[in-house]
Amino acid sequence: MEDQIFVSDLPSLDTLYPGKVTLDTRSGYSGFIVPREFLLEVSTEIHDVWGYDMLSSITGVDYFPEKMEVVYHFYRSLGGGALVLKVQVPRDDAVVPSIFSIYNGAEFQEREAWDLLGIKFDGHPDLRRILMWEGFEGFPLRKDWKEAYYEGDTKPFSSRWPEGVAEHSENKNIFNDNVKYPENFDPDKWIASGEEALYLGLQKSENGKDMETESIVINLGPQHPSTHGVFRMAALVDGEEIVDLKPAFGYLHRNHEKIGERNTFLQNMPFTDRLDYISSMSNNFGYALAVEKLMGVKPPERAEYIRVIMAELTRIESHFMSTGFLLNDLGAFFTPALYALKERELILDVFEAVSGSRMMCNYFRFGGVVRDLPAGIQETIKNLAFERLPGKVDELDQLLTENEIVRSRCMGIGVLTAEQAINLSVTGPILRASGVPYDIRRADPYSIYDRFDFDIPVFYHGDVYDRYLIRIEEMRQSVRIIQQAITQIPEGPVFEGKPQYQVRVPAGEAYGRVEAPKGELGFYVVSNGQANPWRYHVRAPSFINLTSLRQMCLKYKVADVIAILGSIDIVLGEVDR
Amino acid sequence: MIDAALIWEWIIKSLILIIFLTVGFMYVTVYERRFLARIQSRIGPNRAGPFGLLQPAADGLKLIFKEELIPANADKFIFLLAPIITVIPALIVLAVIPWGEAMVIFGRQVNLFISDVNVAVVYIMAVTSISVYGITLAGWSSNNKYALLGGLRATAQMISYELALGLAFMGPVVLAGSLSMVDIVRAQQSSLWYVVLQPAAFLIYFFASIAEINRAPFDMPEAEQELTAGYHAEYSGMKFALFFMAEYIKMIAISTIGATLFFGGFDGPFVDQIPWLGPIYLLAKVVIYLGVLIWVRASWPRIRYDRLMQLGWKIMFPLALLNVIITAVVVVLVN
Repeated sequence: MEDQIFVSDLPSLDTLYPGKVTLDTRSGYSGFIVPREFLLEVSTEIHDVWGYDMLSSITGVDYFPEKMEVVYHFYRSLGGGALVLKVQVPRDDAVVPSIFSIYNGAEFQEREAWDLLGIKFDGHPDLRRILMWEGFEGFPLRKDWKEAYYEGDTKPFSSRWPEGVAEHSENKNIFNDNVKYPENFDPDKWIASGEEALYLGLQKSENGKDMETESIVINLGPQHPSTHGVFRMAALVDGEEIVDLKPAFGYLHRNHEKIGERNTFLQNMPFTDRLDYISSMSNNFGYALAVEKLMGVKPPERAEYIRVIMAELTRIESHFMSTGFLLNDLGAFFTPALYALKERELILDVFEAVSGSRMMCNYFRFGGVVRDLPAGIQETIKNLAFERLPGKVDELDQLLTENEIVRSRCMGIGVLTAEQAINLSVTGPILRASGVPYDIRRADPYSIYDRFDFDIPVFYHGDVYDRYLIRIEEMRQSVRIIQQAITQIPEGPVFEGKPQYQVRVPAGEAYGRVEAPKGELGFYVVSNGQANPWRYHVRAPSFINLTSLRQMCLKYKVADVIAILGSIDIVLGEVDR
Repeated sequence: MIDAALIWEWIIKSLILIIFLTVGFMYVTVYERRFLARIQSRIGPNRAGPFGLLQPAADGLKLIFKEELIPANADKFIFLLAPIITVIPALIVLAVIPWGEAMVIFGRQVNLFISDVNVAVVYIMAVTSISVYGITLAGWSSNNKYALLGGLRATAQMISYELALGLAFMGPVVLAGSLSMVDIVRAQQSSLWYVVLQPAAFLIYFFASIAEINRAPFDMPEAEQELTAGYHAEYSGMKFALFFMAEYIKMIAISTIGATLFFGGFDGPFVDQIPWLGPIYLLAKVVIYLGVLIWVRASWPRIRYDRLMQLGWKIMFPLALLNVIITAVVVVLVN
């Protein structure tokens, strides 16, 4: 603590830049409103002068029918709270300058906002659809876009079973009437124009080689054993060297956010499980934090401890998985992966005991957790935290860390410098492996993390090997947290107030973020006082960490791309949403 | 003297060897799957037949009924030829391996080898090198980028291990003073096993031969995680099975060659009195050798292909050369 760095607080932006920035005075809202012509100027200032070097999230909100709002969350890599900027534009002229030139991490997020909300980012280098398919007509998150089957002008399911007579609302609102296709569209003859754009976007290298060699484009994915799902990379290779690479995804897109806006607040809780299905407890945590901020409730002590224990168990479990499968990607024939899965099963047993489900836990509620720990499970967790897991983490460490092939395959591969990592909005273990000690549990503490004694491991090479090492080290720290939490856990209620299906959420906005195993998981929720959220945005760490994939892969070999992708540790449920 | 009986003897011995290799291939797959499962704290296939012993029959049956696809733009002739080129060398390479001392069967003196060629070691090297053409041709003719990369990797891989492998053979050859496998085994019977006298040559042989058969950690040409299946990505049905068969038969082959060159072949206690112990000893050594190969596959990640070239040219090749020179000098001095 003796080396603590003090950062000067940012004076209120509206006094700093009068005439350019105004305070957001709507009730329940915070941050500053910037007219779009000053956005670049102000964001350059806050980046260069005030040290808000991390762009956490960009999203849009459609305040139908008045305006469209683009919301930016900036953080300092030294820690501290958010700086929220908003740009309001008319709905029919939704054009905002791109901040890609200042924050490279904006690349995918701006594409996502364009794809789903139709906000055009002027100056973006490659503004294509990212999650929806190329021929898609319309912008699904705009409030005047109605989804086939589910959204008519009337409330979709109000009269599904009138007087016991089954009537399908699909029939009332049939497919053809509310799906828009481009003119003369014939699905059988349609050829994705985006393919061309994807391939043309690949940069041929301008190397000064004597011999003229021909490069070929290889599509790694969508069906490929090592992309951890339906993920695709279009790679331009010269021999086996990567000249350029572009990820393409959205194959599993289900428009999580659209469905989330149709659900009630509580219905979204089990829905968050499906984001990063490896670590559903962390997803619950982030969403619960965001909605609790809006509701102004605080969970009781015991619930806080249970939450922390579950979140840390999730981290251990997720890191076990990612370490095991990183080795798989390196070509080890499933042995490390299965050793890791064995430990994961033990943790899933705990999840099953507390929540009833092994993967889709749905355990958190706004103001606590759904039920108390069952009898005996505290002993199981104690046993895991004190006996089993520390030994098994050490075992993994012993078996893998010094392995000569692992070292030669991982060291110096996929290097990402600290500056690049921050600029690309990379979070989580990848950021810390690049030498930036940024962990939200410390940088912007939430829940009761400020009470525990644990370290934030940092490594400085920024390569695949350090990303592997940092996961091993983080598992050890998580074990430490669980050890403290499980011995200190108080008795008492686990839920504040009366459990109810329909929570009352006052109008306003909130951004809740947690340090999920894969990085910063944020939920931006806007409520207008009604039963379902007006806007429900997920800042998915895997999705945004992929922004750095191209940077990491250039000049390495095809075999390394697989290792690098494995070291980013993506889960497609979260990337594609 | 070649008479009809001798020709029949050759035919019968060849058939026995081929049947042994194909059945052996089937059971090496079961052996590998069960042993891997044990290492990975799993059980492995145990449903088809007692202890899963009928699993290869089930697998074979499945592969026979699979559709044989030939990609539209593939070079069909080469596409068909490639698996054959791969599997034939694997089947014929063991012809020069002695299985035991001569035995008297039905009143006839029978040598337990198909042929005692006086250049057996050269024969082995020549024949095993052919199969890499099968891989390269398969990769090229499939008209698939992954397969092409796999084929290219196979060629890059071959030039990096082949020299070291050849030089590793030279150690035992120099010590035994003969290129015949039978003579090499006899020489080991009279002295120590060559794994004691030639540890460096054995290690180089061990790794180079794994590279030769494209097994983990040198399975770059197929590299499931990177190139989906590499050179055989487009193969299905029995054509795929042929590649698969070639890989496992080559596993048996390099285990047998390794056991013969470095572990005394059919040598073992009491083999002088009871000659039929010879094949049993050799089989036991081969099974243990195969076990080590499987263990290696279960434990190590894949090495990157350019690193294998570095390993081959910068470490294994100079080491093998040094080993041959030292062996030669010592042999000359001792004699």
